[in-house]
Amino acid sequence: MSASDAIGTERLEALLRGDAPRTDDERARGALLAQLRGATLRAPETLRERVLALAPASGRAPLWRPSRRLVFVVVPAALAIAVGAALVHGLLGSGGPKTVQHGAVDQALSSTAKAPSTSTFGVANGSAAAVPSSSAGARAQVAPPVGSTGRLQHTDASLQIRVPDVSRLSAATTAATRIATALGGYAQSVVYRTPQSGGGAASIELRVPAQNVRIAIARLAGLGSLVSQQVSVQDLQHDFAVESAQIAQLRRTEAALAKALRDPALPGAQRVLLQIRLAETKRALSQRLHARTGTVTSGTTARISLVLTTAKSIVPAARHRGRLGRMLHSAVGFLALEGTVVLYALIVLGPLAAVAALVWALARARRRRDEQRLLTA
Amino acid sequence: VTIGGSGAVGPGVNAVSSSLDAPALLQARPAFAEVAADHLDAVYRYLVYLTGDRSAAEDLAAETFEKAFRSWRRFDPRRGTPRTWLCRIARTVAIDWFRAESRRRRREDTYTREFAHTTDGALFGGELSAPLEQALRELSPAEREVVALRVLLELDGPSAARVLGISRTACSTLLSRALQRLEERIGDVRE
Repeated sequence: MSASDAIGTERLEALLRGDAPRTDDERARGALLAQLRGATLRAPETLRERVLALAPASGRAPLWRPSRRLVFVVVPAALAIAVGAALVHGLLGSGGPKTVQHGAVDQALSSTAKAPSTSTFGVANGSAAAVPSSSAGARAQVAPPVGSTGRLQHTDASLQIRVPDVSRLSAATTAATRIATALGGYAQSVVYRTPQSGGGAASIELRVPAQNVRIAIARLAGLGSLVSQQVSVQDLQHDFAVESAQIAQLRRTEAALAKALRDPALPGAQRVLLQIRLAETKRALSQRLHARTGTVTSGTTARISLVLTTAKSIVPAARHRGRLGRMLHSAVGFLALEGTVVLYALIVLGPLAAVAALVWALARARRRRDEQRLLTA
Repeated sequence: VTIGGSGAVGPGVNAVSSSLDAPALLQARPAFAEVAADHLDAVYRYLVYLTGDRSAAEDLAAETFEKAFRSWRRFDPRRGTPRTWLCRIARTVAIDWFRAESRRRRREDTYTREFAHTTDGALFGGELSAPLEQALRELSPAEREVVALRVLLELDGPSAARVLGISRTACSTLLSRALQRLEERIGDVRE
């Protein structure tokens, strides 16, 4: 049995540290270590001079390298920044309610008259619902001033109105259809439901001429208690102008091509090319004309979505959060967004990083195997 | 500087880097000339053991310190001692040399070159007994390497394992087997 069979790695480490040997095997091993350590093997003077000539006595400043402990600072700092950004976002985003009240509606509408844009405004459950349905003044108040700018604008309105019972629901549904017809419009769809459990609801999609939308909204609001109302106006004048200009340009191109094709001296190949271009121009012109027709239709017809209901709480009551509540809600939403971004980044980069790590590990293992083979030969 | 003597390794050479105060170490960062003077013999001795060729070890030691000088600014005392860092560079340089030697031998188709330059005289130091000298020659470079790192250069287990690119346990096992083989060879030579 050799000494190392009897000497474990722990005792060997102890012998290397200079502990006294306990057995004969350890004494033999200690003697071997002492003999190995006792041999002097100094670098030749030529080598010493060569190496010491490399560097002046004063070294250059070392490069700054981040400590691994820096991760304990960087990670909390990144988290703090993320939470801070969310709080700032929440603070900035909690300024006011999302719906624009009537006072701001006029301004929004006047701005749509100046530039192509979209304005949305509404009345939440509350003040408007308290307005007596029979009051003409109240009708005028709930009807927003739309369709009076002389510009091509698309109006999209949605109203939710509560009626006392099912019999009034039926009458109100019929009345809503009549209002649309009387104003030159029509009911695109009517869905009427009266479940056995009681109550009922009707969803009506109405189309009315743009110039009558204000009157229509006012009359529809009079069918019951207004629960909520939302009106959005989108200016289409710019779209209309752009499409008209494109149509004019295409017509000029079409005329020029037709004139060129009438030339009998036109070479055959060029004629074919011009005919192809003429066909493309006609197709584009047809598309533009169709689009402009759609724009005009959209601008001259308003869409009104009316929901009539007998249920007391068809619409969940708007939660009136305080400023702090809104801020926290917004901050949490922003944090969720940040988390989503991080998650997406992990999903995208994770597999790439895994593949890179695998390639690196394989290359390292192969390199070590080669080195081991070289050194054990 | 006498390698192998009681004062060969300065205090704290094998200290675990994590236990050191990093800012203090940065401030106490030695000059390259100082490090070269302190560790030249150790690196040379390591390379002699690894290559089994004094002439090659001399060239490789010079190359090691040239590379070390070029990358001296990147040396981070918090991640290891200068000796460990120099040994890692020396090992890379030596591995390249082994590869080149292997290619050269394949080209020349001469496999009898082993220790051809140094079969006469003491390769590993004059004070070693003839059987030990012969036994060392018969070890593989990998076995001599771990003996050099752990016994001669007195690197601790983690530092030697880092130089070799293996685990601490594997390093201890490798050393134990190398010493066992060394004793067996000595016995064979004596018989």
